[in-house]
Amino acid sequence: MGSVFPVTNRKISVVEETLPESRLPDEEQLFLKAVHKTVKEVSQIKELSESRTGMKDSLIFATHLMILQDPTLMNGVLDKIRKERKNARWAVHVVLGAFIDKFEQIDSPAMRDKAADLRDVYNRLMAAMEDSGPVLEDVATEDGVVLAGHELLPSLLMSIKPGQVAGLAMDTGGRTSHVAILARSLQIPLVSGLRNFAALVKAGDTVIVDGSSGQVVINPNQDDIKEFHARQEVFERQRRELFTMRQLEPMTRDGKYITLHANIELPSESEKVTDFGATGIGLYRSEFLFLRSDAPTQDEQRDAYRYILETMYPCPVTIRTLDAGGDKLVSGITAVNESNPFMGWRSIRVCLDREDIFCTQLKALLLANTKENLRLLLPMISGMTELRRAKACIAKCRKELEEKGKKVAKVKIGVMIEVPAAVMIVDKLAKEVDFFSIGTNDLVQFTLAVDRTNELITDMFQPHHPAVLSMIYQTVQAAHREGIPVAVCGEMSADPLSVLLLVGLGVDELSMTPWSVMSTKKIIRSINFEDVRDSALTVLQMDDAESVNAFMLGKYAQTIRDLGISSFVGQVDSSKK
Amino acid sequence: MIEKALVVTNKLGIHARPAGMIVDITGQAKSDISIVFEGSKANAKSILNVMMLAIPAGSEVKFEIDGEDEEQVASQLESLFNDHFNEEPC
Repeated sequence: MGSVFPVTNRKISVVEETLPESRLPDEEQLFLKAVHKTVKEVSQIKELSESRTGMKDSLIFATHLMILQDPTLMNGVLDKIRKERKNARWAVHVVLGAFIDKFEQIDSPAMRDKAADLRDVYNRLMAAMEDSGPVLEDVATEDGVVLAGHELLPSLLMSIKPGQVAGLAMDTGGRTSHVAILARSLQIPLVSGLRNFAALVKAGDTVIVDGSSGQVVINPNQDDIKEFHARQEVFERQRRELFTMRQLEPMTRDGKYITLHANIELPSESEKVTDFGATGIGLYRSEFLFLRSDAPTQDEQRDAYRYILETMYPCPVTIRTLDAGGDKLVSGITAVNESNPFMGWRSIRVCLDREDIFCTQLKALLLANTKENLRLLLPMISGMTELRRAKACIAKCRKELEEKGKKVAKVKIGVMIEVPAAVMIVDKLAKEVDFFSIGTNDLVQFTLAVDRTNELITDMFQPHHPAVLSMIYQTVQAAHREGIPVAVCGEMSADPLSVLLLVGLGVDELSMTPWSVMSTKKIIRSINFEDVRDSALTVLQMDDAESVNAFMLGKYAQTIRDLGISSFVGQVDSSKK
Repeated sequence: MIEKALVVTNKLGIHARPAGMIVDITGQAKSDISIVFEGSKANAKSILNVMMLAIPAGSEVKFEIDGEDEEQVASQLESLFNDHFNEEPC
């Protein structure tokens, strides 16, 4: 619960004014104060980003700071104000605008990308000169604010300070969008897909954001608030109870061990995953290192990866290579205007085309793997050629490093199973990799042809569709014939009914947000493997997701309710309302 | 005044990071410093000016340094270029 802080990506309009002499000192002050404020802002973001990503220095923000204090820019703007008697905003617009234009014309893609940095500085300066009310960096309330907007961007979430934000509400996006995943790892309640919420609230409205039920209450009355506090208390109590699960083995009653790993977004999260009872990291999404205006260097990446690998040692750590594109735009790498971005130039396709970026990352990974606990995961593989090309890149990077006298430890290589084509050739893939990891979010999206970010068809995003379950089953069968393990790292592995199905289908490892590990362990410890296997084989023969859910709920709803975890991990009814 | 000619030896040329490293040195210096590349001369204390020269790998650039700490600035710039800006050499 908190008061609304509207987030808009508004367009900036600037008017040219010629001012009387007397007003010029004010304009000068306006500009200098804006520079001062922006320098402060960027310095804070720089520090925060350094502590979040574990990278020693965020040179890109240092560049922003230098641009802000650039003498040519400063003098140019001050001259426009003093000599031409222009208003400060117009002066910045003309002077910085001219630089942006020139950068865009430079005959070097790397430099053209720098125009984006200048635009960022431009936007910040303009915002600082506008009487637009408070900026997020200045907000300090006891309960935190609720950020409400049509679309909230991952970069905004990265800049949130702990305790500053009580909730997130946005019009676009589904449960599995990237902002949702990031919000979960920051433990901020989020309700998305609200369609026109941003237009209904204004700054200062009180809003309850209930992430577990997906409900938002605008200006709640006393009863609503009472109910909210009661629910919050139950939630906290169940959370405390779950911590008692920490030291227990994730084993079914008939002795089948299921490995439970955690998904993390930020290197700093690796410090606490074992506290939640996870025995490794099943998915580290490396693209969050790339959410800035230029790609991190090999050394920066190596430091970040090594930090996770050393923190987790001796537990295994699965690091996925850059999965840019789709809903994760990385500036300077992925294109912005694809008509079908999820099926576009993304992920491994980008990496194989841009070997410079891919090899930098691979070398950083190989160098970070000093303790041999790295599992390297290749995303979006749809054919053998891609896999072999990627493996050739890894071999080439290893050779180059070894020729330089570096010691390179052994590394396990796996592929994501998330494109239906990969399932159709899964026998062949199994012969050439060390493990599989099923990305259920994309696998469901591609198998059912349902865009997971389209709020009009969230009902059709059915992880329990027999087609999806059959894909998972075939993958497990092929993997076990070759003696390699299968992990599931999508959102499915935290949903109670899905856990029963996945274990029943023979999945060896489940990886989920750290918070869900304990409740999943509780479920696993309460079931018999033979029983859920029979159930899984039964539902594989069913006609549709509705029948599967009805069968599973009929058989297990009571068990799950008795475990007292339903409100913690969301609705028992997983058919996504 | 000192004139110092240096060769850009990192693979990517003087993009944002190396430009920042140059300005790190020049910005703190007391001397006036210009950078000359292919006939264009720019204020070497301005990251925007340095970046805008878009100097590719393998180029030779000249610094004109004029002031009390000119010797020191010249040697700092020299070691920065010799270390390929801590990047991959070409």
